[in-house]
Amino acid sequence: MEAIKKDQAAPGLDQGQLVHAIERFNTDYCRALDDGRLHDWVEFFTEDAYYVVSGRENHTANLPVGLVYCEGKGMLKDRALAILETSMFAPRYLRHFVTNTYAEPQDDGTIVAGANYMLTQVLMDQPTATLHQVGCYLDRFVFENGELKLQERRAIYDNLLLNNDLVYPV
Amino acid sequence: MAWTPVKGADALSPDGGVMAVTIDKVAVALYRFGEDYLATGNICTHQYALLSDGFVEDGCVECPLHQAVFDVRTGKALSGPVSKDLETYAVKVEDGQVFVDVTRPAEISEAPADNRIAMAEERDGRCFAIVGGGQAAASAARALRDAGFTGTVKLFAREQALPYERPPLSKAILLGEAPLHGPTLLDAPTAQQLNIELHLGVTVTAIDVERKTLTASDGETHAYDQLLLATGASPRPLPIPGADLSAVHSLRTLEDAIAFKRALQPGRHIAIIGSGFIGLEVASAARQRGCEVTLVEAAPRICSRALHPMAALRVHKLAERNGVRILTDVQTTAFEAADGGVALKLNNGDTLQADSVLVGIGVIPETALAESLGLEIENGIVVDRFGRTGLEGVFAAGDAAVTRRDDGTLLRLESWQNAQEQAAAAARTMAGQDTAHDAVPWFWSDQFAHNIQMLGLPTADDQMVAKPGSNGAETLYFHNGERLTGVIAFNDPGAIRRGREWLRRGLSVDALNRLLENTAGAAGDARLPAPLRRGTMSDLSNYYVWPREGLTRVPDWVYTDPYIFELEVERIFHGPTWNYVALEVEIPNAGDFKQSNVGPTPVVVSRDEDGDINVFVNRCSHRAAQFCRDLRGNTEEFVCPYHQWSYDLKGNLAGVPFRRGVDGKGGMPKDFKTCDHGPTKLKVTTRHGVVFASFDHDMKPLEDYLGPDMLREFDATFDGRELKLLGYYRNSLPGNWKLYHENLKDPYHATLLHTFLVSFGLLVAGNKSQMICDETGLHGAMASAKSDGGTVSEENQKEMRAYRPEFQLEREDMLNFIPEFDSEWSVTMLTVWPNLIVQREMNTLGVRQIVPSGPDEFVMNWTMFGFADDDEEMTRHRLRQGNLMGPAGFLGLEDNEAIKFVQDGMKRTQPGEHLVALDPDTPAGTADTLISESAIRAMYQSWRQALDIE
Repeated sequence: MEAIKKDQAAPGLDQGQLVHAIERFNTDYCRALDDGRLHDWVEFFTEDAYYVVSGRENHTANLPVGLVYCEGKGMLKDRALAILETSMFAPRYLRHFVTNTYAEPQDDGTIVAGANYMLTQVLMDQPTATLHQVGCYLDRFVFENGELKLQERRAIYDNLLLNNDLVYPV
Repeated sequence: MAWTPVKGADALSPDGGVMAVTIDKVAVALYRFGEDYLATGNICTHQYALLSDGFVEDGCVECPLHQAVFDVRTGKALSGPVSKDLETYAVKVEDGQVFVDVTRPAEISEAPADNRIAMAEERDGRCFAIVGGGQAAASAARALRDAGFTGTVKLFAREQALPYERPPLSKAILLGEAPLHGPTLLDAPTAQQLNIELHLGVTVTAIDVERKTLTASDGETHAYDQLLLATGASPRPLPIPGADLSAVHSLRTLEDAIAFKRALQPGRHIAIIGSGFIGLEVASAARQRGCEVTLVEAAPRICSRALHPMAALRVHKLAERNGVRILTDVQTTAFEAADGGVALKLNNGDTLQADSVLVGIGVIPETALAESLGLEIENGIVVDRFGRTGLEGVFAAGDAAVTRRDDGTLLRLESWQNAQEQAAAAARTMAGQDTAHDAVPWFWSDQFAHNIQMLGLPTADDQMVAKPGSNGAETLYFHNGERLTGVIAFNDPGAIRRGREWLRRGLSVDALNRLLENTAGAAGDARLPAPLRRGTMSDLSNYYVWPREGLTRVPDWVYTDPYIFELEVERIFHGPTWNYVALEVEIPNAGDFKQSNVGPTPVVVSRDEDGDINVFVNRCSHRAAQFCRDLRGNTEEFVCPYHQWSYDLKGNLAGVPFRRGVDGKGGMPKDFKTCDHGPTKLKVTTRHGVVFASFDHDMKPLEDYLGPDMLREFDATFDGRELKLLGYYRNSLPGNWKLYHENLKDPYHATLLHTFLVSFGLLVAGNKSQMICDETGLHGAMASAKSDGGTVSEENQKEMRAYRPEFQLEREDMLNFIPEFDSEWSVTMLTVWPNLIVQREMNTLGVRQIVPSGPDEFVMNWTMFGFADDDEEMTRHRLRQGNLMGPAGFLGLEDNEAIKFVQDGMKRTQPGEHLVALDPDTPAGTADTLISESAIRAMYQSWRQALDIE
């Protein structure tokens, strides 16, 4: 396996190690969300991060709206606060399944990456889980103090209709 | 005052016209036959109904309610559930003026009925005994005399009372509308006149068929020559503990009815076990008396013995609309005395508290005496069509008898008609006039102000055709694929009259369909597509009765009922409304199109070469395929993929492949014209970049439709600036579509549910705000002006549990309002009936399109936009502020959750009603306080008009 450029961005990681590192990152990221630890979730992002959850319909047509649209970590923190402290919604469990991870180191030291995700939801009034979203992450990672951080994450879901609402981030 | 002139009599149809007149407080029916005028009493001697509303034919009048038939000339009761004749009144005509004298009878009356009893010099020496004292017994006694039998007639009745009618026991008697002695079938003077020997209060204990004697409980022995067993039936007991408690009733006799009537006090809770007609009629009476009623049925659905499932469903709904709580699939396992009432232990683990219980789970034929004679018993005494048992000289009729039909099957009917007519046929046969009883089975029930009549014996497998009549009537016709098998009419006695003849004739299904298309019904009814004709049931609206309290209540069925939903599609979405379909910015160029919907119906919105916008139904004229499959795009034409029929951008059918066939063979008929076969086109209008469509081509202009106040709010958002499309959200919502309108006509919730909104001072109870309605109440605008925060008074804070002043946002600029509109409001939520919401939440803008898919679910299509002259920062501000709204918005998700909770509540609890009583000072319409529901009330005022729901 070809070793990637030894630079600030990906210190000493070959392609396979980088993909593995991103898989590890996504595992931790999803655990935080699956556990409902939204304040921890915020810490996976850089200060200037861009985070959006949007339908494939918008992504394909280059339309900028997001179900969730955050510019900067401050907005992520505000969302975590709003959902955890102010929002009214029925109790639920969500679970992420991430696969098909890829990573493409860029000349500017960032890493363009992506993966497919499935998001299941269980409501307390139904015996079964539903497939809430199927989609992909379109990411840009950077290394900050040797740790991967998301500078940009677009969660683009394929399903045209969202079942009622989306409470937690993806 | 003797002769009274009657005005307008000459306007009566000479062909049996009838009118009601009141003369000296006497209700008179005046009839015209040619130049002859006749008058009778106008009130049926059976139950309260006006004969002037009935049918006149062959010199007879038929009561509209239960088909009693009277001879108009003599007043004589001829058939149906009557034995008492009508009064007749003298009529004369002088100089074209008709006069009636209610103080004397018509001069042409025949001799009184008592010459039926041939009091011949030579009396028959035989004695006929009738065992039983109910409907069948009384009918038989009269029929014996009618048939000319002059011998002795003895009637042995277990009850002390003279034979009486049972139908009123579960209706008028319980309501106190009939005298407690009940309508008598055979009163003492008549019995005397007919020379019938009554033995009341005795039972027949033994019969010796060899010696032809019977022994009564008073010890007397009577000789007889022929015997009729009309022993009736007794209520089926419920074999569970506690069934003997005094508060547990059954209903078969007058005594039972009088005892149970005492239990029906306002506010009492009555539990009824069994949902046959007795149970339902008692439920109706109990509701009318102000009782709470719970009906407990062990079967999965009500009325499963008596009614076809579709008819049972209607009756079920009717009862529920009238406040009866119905539990199906639930058995009662025990009664326990509790708190002066009864506790019903149910097999689902629940306990039901009631003050009194009525057990109405059917009857068991009284056959003990017949068994002692060795007669064949099969859930009743087996008889032939003439009422003969296997034993010479012994007959049976009524509830106790079961008829072996010609095909060998057994049929036992528990009905007024069967008791009356079977007994009469048996009696005539006894008297030597062999008479078979094979009338079409007929049954009636009066409940919840509905007259339900049934003819024939449709089975659950039969197919149904529903036919709405006028004034809220509906008739269900059943057939087995070949022939008509039954008719059930709701408030439509005329249909029963016709149906009886059709059943007698054994009408074929083809003939039925032809006849139904020709009988009364809305013009063009038959042309409606079949599913609509089935589902529309426009007159079913009569069954949906609005709660007595009026607009402050909204019953659950408004949100849950599939018929109501179909009616909404027809009358609202496909009716005289403007429906949002697109923003012009989505289809700026010729050939641009998008898929959209009007109500649930998919449509295509396209811009043609002339720059005009067209809206047409997305359905191929050939085989109904939904031909346009892309959400959006650009094309020169639409081609249905199935057989390549093509449509131009205006929605015209343009091409049909092989229309002329190949080599002169095949192809479409010569007279086929493409212009006759295009998809349905809708009327289109636009305003400031917003596109609306309507199935109604006579729609008034959008500006008039909105009215001045709504137009002002619409134009505040769509001020003529060119729009810029920012993207879409689409979500399904598990609730009724109107709940979304209500959510935006309910400013009360905004201050309580939306903590985020309140915490950051975007909307609080003290803010400047208004709930604006148009004149119809269908459109609305919830408007508020942003406060600077920190202005919530302590008094208001206490009421708002959501208020959290300690919260601070990192990015408060997200909530900035950059003034850009000519409006005093920073936020308006404009609802345009029936499918559009215009969101102007400060600077985040969008339209929401409601696409209902059924009573329980709708899809919301959000199109978010800005303006073409926005700079990048303004666009990003709109996008950031977008986190407030949409299906993941801080406020938006809460509304979606709340709507689901409301629908869940209705789905999972007993049907009830919503309470929308806030702000009584404003009964309906624009409110100046947020603590108001006047806008919801205004909406339902118009909604009910659109659906004809009283």
